[in-house]
Amino acid sequence: MSIPGLGYIAPAPPPGSAAAAAALVETTTIKLEPFWEYRFEVPASTTLTVRLVSGTAEKDGTELAPNTPYVFTRLKSKINTWQTCELEITSPNPDGYHAYVSKPTTPDQTSLVSYLNLHMKLEAARTQHRSSGENNISAAGMGPRVLVCGPVNTGKTTLVRMLTAWGQPMVINTDPTHGMLSPPGTLSASVFATIMDITTEWGGTPSSGPTAIPVKLPLSYMYGLRTPEENPKLYRALVSRLAAATTSRLAEDPEVRKSGMVLDTGDLSLTTNPAGYEALAHVVSEFSVNLVVALGSERITADLTRRFAGQKTTLGEEIVVMGLEKSGGAVERDASFMQGVTEAAIKEYFFGDVRRNLSPHTQSVPFDAVTIWKVVEDSTTASSDDDYYDPAASETSLEKVEPSLAMASCLLAVVYANVHDDPDTIRDANVMGYVWVAGVDEAKRKLKLTAPVPTRLGDRPMVFGNYPEPVIGLTG
Amino acid sequence: MASYQESEHFAEDFREALEDLQVNNRYDIQNLTMIARENTEHALAIAQTLQNHIKRVASHKKLPSLYVLDSIIKNVGTPYTLFFGKRLFETYMDAYASVDMPTRRKMDEMLKTWKEPIPGSIDTRPVFPPDVTRPIENALIKARTSAMAAQQQHYRNEQQLLGRGRPMPQQPPVPYRNTPTPPNVRPSSQASGYPGNHSNGAGPFGPPPQAPSQYHQHQNINMPTRPTPQPSASMPAFQPPYPGGYGMPQPGISVDALNNDIQQLIAASKAEFARSPHDPSIQTRLKALLDLQSILQTQNLPQDQLVLIKNRIAELAVTIRATPAQTPYTCTYSTSRSSSSSPFSSSGSAEGFHRFSIGFRCSGCSAGKKFCHTTSIYTSAPPATMAIRSPPPQRVELPKPAAPAPSDALSLMEMLRKAGMIPPPSTGPSSGSTPAPNHMPPMPSLPFPLPRPVVSGPPTVENMTSDITFTASSLKQFRPHLVPLLFESLGTQCTQCGRRFKNDAEGKKKKTAHMDWHFKVNQRIAEADKAGQNRGWLVDEHDWVGTRETIDVIGGVPTAQAAATQGGSVAKLPKMQYIPVPDDPVLLNSVCPICQEKFKQVYLDEEWVWEDALEVGDRIYHASCHREATGGSSTVAAVKYGGGGRATPEPVLGKRKAEVSLYHPSFLYMSPPKRTHTSLLFNSRSTDHVFLKQDDLTSLRAGKLKMEV
Repeated sequence: MSIPGLGYIAPAPPPGSAAAAAALVETTTIKLEPFWEYRFEVPASTTLTVRLVSGTAEKDGTELAPNTPYVFTRLKSKINTWQTCELEITSPNPDGYHAYVSKPTTPDQTSLVSYLNLHMKLEAARTQHRSSGENNISAAGMGPRVLVCGPVNTGKTTLVRMLTAWGQPMVINTDPTHGMLSPPGTLSASVFATIMDITTEWGGTPSSGPTAIPVKLPLSYMYGLRTPEENPKLYRALVSRLAAATTSRLAEDPEVRKSGMVLDTGDLSLTTNPAGYEALAHVVSEFSVNLVVALGSERITADLTRRFAGQKTTLGEEIVVMGLEKSGGAVERDASFMQGVTEAAIKEYFFGDVRRNLSPHTQSVPFDAVTIWKVVEDSTTASSDDDYYDPAASETSLEKVEPSLAMASCLLAVVYANVHDDPDTIRDANVMGYVWVAGVDEAKRKLKLTAPVPTRLGDRPMVFGNYPEPVIGLTG
Repeated sequence: MASYQESEHFAEDFREALEDLQVNNRYDIQNLTMIARENTEHALAIAQTLQNHIKRVASHKKLPSLYVLDSIIKNVGTPYTLFFGKRLFETYMDAYASVDMPTRRKMDEMLKTWKEPIPGSIDTRPVFPPDVTRPIENALIKARTSAMAAQQQHYRNEQQLLGRGRPMPQQPPVPYRNTPTPPNVRPSSQASGYPGNHSNGAGPFGPPPQAPSQYHQHQNINMPTRPTPQPSASMPAFQPPYPGGYGMPQPGISVDALNNDIQQLIAASKAEFARSPHDPSIQTRLKALLDLQSILQTQNLPQDQLVLIKNRIAELAVTIRATPAQTPYTCTYSTSRSSSSSPFSSSGSAEGFHRFSIGFRCSGCSAGKKFCHTTSIYTSAPPATMAIRSPPPQRVELPKPAAPAPSDALSLMEMLRKAGMIPPPSTGPSSGSTPAPNHMPPMPSLPFPLPRPVVSGPPTVENMTSDITFTASSLKQFRPHLVPLLFESLGTQCTQCGRRFKNDAEGKKKKTAHMDWHFKVNQRIAEADKAGQNRGWLVDEHDWVGTRETIDVIGGVPTAQAAATQGGSVAKLPKMQYIPVPDDPVLLNSVCPICQEKFKQVYLDEEWVWEDALEVGDRIYHASCHREATGGSSTVAAVKYGGGGRATPEPVLGKRKAEVSLYHPSFLYMSPPKRTHTSLLFNSRSTDHVFLKQDDLTSLRAGKLKMEV
């Protein structure tokens, strides 16, 4: 789908020069009635500044502060209101973005109502510690574990973000296609107990400087592939690992335990691969998910209902499957847009954004000083009937590789393991940070690496895979 | 502002929300108030909807709806006062005509509060302007007066018809006071077990001076404005007949007065009997009354029994009389358990009295239970609850079984009709819901709701979401009362980030801390712009599990363990050593002779310095390298890269430095409590949020180091 004005704009002034163009800025004021949404799609080439003049407004569940400018770029999102509001929209390039107001006249014309009801139901489950009943979704003080799944472009992540902003739970991203507080290709978890950064998808990875929005500390694992199907065994191993860590956190942190978890998942397309189903079932069982929200597909709802019928979580609760309609505002994000998002995320990791300039450190290291492992694609080992994954019995999913030109411009994950550890330990280790291969000199056997902090890099194994794809010209 | 169509939609939603209001539920009423508050642009539509709703609903639902009106008026005020005021007379009188007696009393109380300023408000104006409330009051008074006259006339007629009437005591109609709820009603109605009156003490009724008199403590302690005599004590529990009012306790109960009263009641009962001769309850009651009269006339009863008799009569009066105002006694109820039960065991008249009780109650309740009930009712009604602005929730009026004494409601209806205030009625609901006070089951426990805080907390989410099920249709249904939970219920908003803070004391405290945090962070952002920043390393799994998100804390709230760790390490940590960045370009590129690494340049105290650097002779070393090389006594490694509070004692190991740098993600500092130390380390200064660790990482790190070595 091609969206007018999105990604096909001739090079526009970069965001930094927005101030220079301020004189030309056009300001419009729009008034939103209850349930209305201001939906916008801003390409990377321009910015959109939104200011809440009066009333209350939310972006994905996070309330806008009054009279505070929020600058959006490279984003397709929406701002909605439950109670009417007035927004002031400013853009240096009024033709550079696409926006419209969705005006449902009755509450049942917007999916937001169901999302709110869902949240309130979860909130009730969080406050009730022990109770009985058919919709009992709490067990021994444990908040609900909600998994959101569905086909691509149904607003899964948006719903997860709303539930997160409203309920402040732990968020777990099991979709390697997108990163959460971490570059794509990773699985991560983080507690969102504080207000979220609404100008980005999830906010950034923690950095040294102070930030106006409290930083969220992620725990992430390198998967290095785009979909769970590309190496189901590795995916399952990492999900189990992530589940173990998050469950420990839940066990020790009463606040988080009460809030529960919200899980984001990748594209679930039943027709093409049953392995996606298997991966989902594995996630459900590992995280003791007790509420599966199938978004935008009645077929998936029905299939999952059948699949989880009568099943219980490890806590003895019934697994409830419910269907929800997708939002009318959910839009397709094409490959080039997503590629742009990925690149921007990686760039932001090293260099920061307009609000915060970061200084990465590039150094040259000999080939021998680094240990690099590559994630192998291994879809053949996928066995859908293998319900009990035994890491000890599996072949490794990593292979040790010599630095080569092939890894130029790749993102390597530095993991918390020892260079001499066996592959399985390295595979299971969580990510410490990322370095970018700025250059490979095979003749001199030297590797130029850009790291977020100036430090010696040889002591930790590094892992990379085919995803995220190499980002050319990160520093150039 | 809002278009007509929208208001219409909104009104429809509001109406639906009102439909759900079945009983007097404080949460629901608050929610509806909140909706009204937030949607003042639809005020007219809301006001109309509510008034139509009050008019339309069944009589037992009128009171909750009226309370919504009351709550909106008192908590929101304009423009609702204006909109409601226009049709208030109609709304009020219409409702008044169709509800039962206890509800009327509630309405009286409510009306009374409307004539006064909102409690706790600085505004001294009454809730409704007098020109709105006065017509209602006048109408009520008129109705009562004519009812009284009609009633008395009726008695006389009946007596003549029966042909056995005793001379009617010449008691002229009592002049009406300007208080719509005669104070003497309350105790008697309470004694008779009207459910609606149990919460009188907590209700909006009556400011001082009458107010304190509503609270009859069981033990009769210190009731300054109202005598609460102990019947068993020498001070008799008797109030002078109306209009004596709230005087000092009288020396004794006059048997004559009692006789008069019984006479009246007998007359009334006879009248009733004549109307419905087949009602056995009236027969029983009449018989009991006659028995009682003979007892009174033939025996000389002790005071405490007189008190009881008087109480009974007062109760009965409420039942029988159309307007409680006519009850010629200001009954004081202070019956203690012992005194209330004594007559039955000790008095020779016990039998007659007992019969009277049974006959009067028209129900199977035993006398003992009845009296226990009577006494227990008074046990608690803290005056503190007087401050409540809206009527608090009251127990639901249970549908009563066969009403033995419908005369009160009916006659009032009649009066109102006579007074030309209401159209010919649909008598169904009113007669059907006529209270039968004695049918109330005995209350096993305190009938009063516990006093609630004036400013209530948010309703529990559980209650409000109990109707939601995980089905598409249920989830699609909009529930307007849930929306405020995202906004107003959470308190006021931080103007900088949009976070909300509760309006209670704790919330205010949090908000102050939050604003401090913003201030400091903004300051630091400005500072940090001068220096370089970089992304930090993430923590490892074990640390992540151990981190706790702390909110609005700079420097962290050290947990006991963390504090201990910090305290220890800070004490041992030597001062960071640094030298100004040399001007000499040769020196500028120099590396540490020991580790062959460059020096880390940081901006500190307004100049660029090399961190962890030490000039020895003409060579510059890393202070830590030098210390190790020279076998410095300290086992503490000054952290090379941005060493902050994480500096914990570490063993001297060959790979230490790299290890340290890897293990010291710059964002992870727990800012040391000592400012002097912090100010030396620019990185730690910029710690705006802190992830506290509960685990002492030393052991972990040591373990890893061992593996490496």
